[in-house]
Amino acid sequence: MSIKDKVPVTILTGFLGSGKTTLLNRILSEEHGKRIAVIENEYGEVGIDQGLVINADEEVFEMSNGCICCTVRGDLIRVLGNLMKRRDKFDYVLVETTGLADPGPVAQTFFMDEEISSEFTLDGIVTLVDAAHIDQQLGRSDESSEQVAFADVLVLNKTDLVSDDALDTVESRLRDMNRMTRIIRAENAKVPIETVLNLSAFDLDQILKRRPTFLEPEYPFEWTGVYDLDPGKYELMLEEGPDPEMSLVALVNQGESEEELKDGAESSVRLYAENANTLEPGNTIPYGEHINLKLEDKGNKSFILNIEKPTKIGLFTQHTAEEFNMKVIKSDENKEIPFNTERFWQAEHEHDDEVGSIAIERFGDVDPEKLNTWMGRLLSEKGVDIFRTKGFISYSGNPRRIVFQGVHMLFTAQPDKEWGNEPRRNQLVFIGRNLNEKEMQEGFDKCLI
Amino acid sequence: MPDIEPFSPRGMFHEGWTAEVSDYAIACGWALKGKQFIVGDVAGGIFAFEGDTGKIIWKKENTHSGGLLAMAIHPEGEIFATSGQDGNVQICNCHEGKVIKTLDLGKGWVEHLKWSNDGLFLAIATSKKVYVFNEIGEEKWISEDHPSTVSAITWSNKNELATACYGRVTFFDIVNNKTNQKLEWQGSLVSMELSPDGDIVACGSQDNSVHFWRRSTGMDAEMTGYPGKPSHLSFDDSGKLLATSGSERITVWSFIGNGPEGTMPGELCHHTEPISSLAFSNKGMLVASGSRDGSVVASFLKNDGNGDPVGAAFAGDLVGAISWRPDDCALAAVNAKGVVNVWKFKVRTNLFSKGFK
Repeated sequence: MSIKDKVPVTILTGFLGSGKTTLLNRILSEEHGKRIAVIENEYGEVGIDQGLVINADEEVFEMSNGCICCTVRGDLIRVLGNLMKRRDKFDYVLVETTGLADPGPVAQTFFMDEEISSEFTLDGIVTLVDAAHIDQQLGRSDESSEQVAFADVLVLNKTDLVSDDALDTVESRLRDMNRMTRIIRAENAKVPIETVLNLSAFDLDQILKRRPTFLEPEYPFEWTGVYDLDPGKYELMLEEGPDPEMSLVALVNQGESEEELKDGAESSVRLYAENANTLEPGNTIPYGEHINLKLEDKGNKSFILNIEKPTKIGLFTQHTAEEFNMKVIKSDENKEIPFNTERFWQAEHEHDDEVGSIAIERFGDVDPEKLNTWMGRLLSEKGVDIFRTKGFISYSGNPRRIVFQGVHMLFTAQPDKEWGNEPRRNQLVFIGRNLNEKEMQEGFDKCLI
Repeated sequence: MPDIEPFSPRGMFHEGWTAEVSDYAIACGWALKGKQFIVGDVAGGIFAFEGDTGKIIWKKENTHSGGLLAMAIHPEGEIFATSGQDGNVQICNCHEGKVIKTLDLGKGWVEHLKWSNDGLFLAIATSKKVYVFNEIGEEKWISEDHPSTVSAITWSNKNELATACYGRVTFFDIVNNKTNQKLEWQGSLVSMELSPDGDIVACGSQDNSVHFWRRSTGMDAEMTGYPGKPSHLSFDDSGKLLATSGSERITVWSFIGNGPEGTMPGELCHHTEPISSLAFSNKGMLVASGSRDGSVVASFLKNDGNGDPVGAAFAGDLVGAISWRPDDCALAAVNAKGVVNVWKFKVRTNLFSKGFK
């Protein structure tokens, strides 16, 4: 049976009170032409409006070998085993788990049980989080961070109860934990239906078609301002800010289109990788170099920008301009020159949570044998702590891209489209608990040819 | 739809009759000593046919709202029980299909029904509980909650009931309300069969193994290496052979001598897709298997568990259930499209013998 004939299944997780039932009712009441069967583990809170609803108590079955990856959900096997005889009655399945459910066994059920995997395909894991409470929940329970870690889509719900600033902070924390997920903000679980159903989130081919790179890159800078400057002497003036110093790259001839900004960002990433030259206030800022502004002194600090012919200067700064009340002043007129364009970037964050994402991106080919050995060892040693794995790999000698994904130790790798003229590269994301980024990157680097 | 080409009955299978029910047929059985054949479909339709001709005798639809889950015909063949997602059990008369008694057991699915061999008791499993009623629907016993949903029940003797769930098999004396034995093992038990003398307990487990215990000696063993979970188990009437399957292959363990520990099982490979039903004949060492590919094969087995096919037939689609007529002279198969096939099973005379193609 091909994947097209299999019934897609969406798993809905989230803590009690995060709005799962509201979302479920929204999905069921919307006109989408699907006949949805619902398997409900959590009931009582709010009733389900309609449709084929089956209540089942969550039953987590561990196997005698003690392997966490073989753990499955007995209730789902039972209920889905019966549902598959009634295929004419529905064409989609939604599983609503309890707030305390570990998504691992739920997902594994669709890979481990032959009868289930021959008829059903896991479409995606949608996790609802209550924007007001998720911060505390993440601190208190493993289940909550695991639900975030497993999510293909995170619905940040009840945004109306939280300030924009707090939302940004929460979102950035969630993003750090799971970099492959798509985060959708919602009030009262109001999200477009197509953002939660038919994701084909476990079909990597589909994901890569939609998003050629499923990683939102992280930059070492948060902000770019483009200034249109005539010849002359300018001062970059900064007040006190959150840091006693700040990294910066200044580029000449910086365009303002999104593409030009991204090109500039890419050059800056490379420059940021080099050691920074420290500048004291009053020093002149060189172009196309990684510099570090000393900002320890109290009050305003100025650095000099010299312009010989009219140009657009792009400033790629570690922090946002606002944080230091940064201004560009034309020295002889003492006039502030506002930026023409600004752009904020997804910045690297400190990873405070135990659960986090590790991304490995490398150009070039890997030795398939070395990679298999490394992955095999990694998953056997760390499989319990690695929740999800997704990525693509360039095997030396293979004209096709290899896409793969895993849940804990379960792992599939499949040849995908041909590389063609595209530069051959590798992109791997691991989401897990207490993963050692440096060790994993070094391990992967040893597999490169 | 199955990938294999339709074919005419071969070997000892001969054309009998066919009929249709309304939906995916999940349960079937012979009543009135083989004079009647009853089929239940997933939507709750129950149909009774004349055993020889396939002529419909009576039918009823929507017996259980939400759908039918199990059916069991009383050993005397005069009454039968059905259960469903509505949490109900109905005890019905075979002649007209009339409901004699409806038992309301609550909200959970009622997934398993088993009459005791002497027909005095009906055991019923729903969620974590097991009930025992008598023939006229009077409650005789209720179990405590099991640690998980009960996955199989079977009678070990006239007063003793075995239940399987995650992690254990338990034997209850339902007359004296006591627990006779607990066999524990960490694993999700998905199927259970007892040898006819009740001594050997065999369970298929979710981790692709068959675990069995000998109650008399307390010895247990685990047979691993199955490609899928062994959902289908069947003992022959002498208790010598246990046929098991969790894939397109049937593995037969022989309990003769010191076996099956340390012995090679018999292997039967006749189907292209996993087995969906498996049943020994009422007497003798004939095992019939139905597959998701729609094929049905009867194999004659030797003491070591190996054997040869003696007949094959095509049921048209995934075989939902099979049942030997009490005299073993016919085999019935019902399929996922609601088609009922009954083939005569006999030695071909020389005149008509075509042999195996």
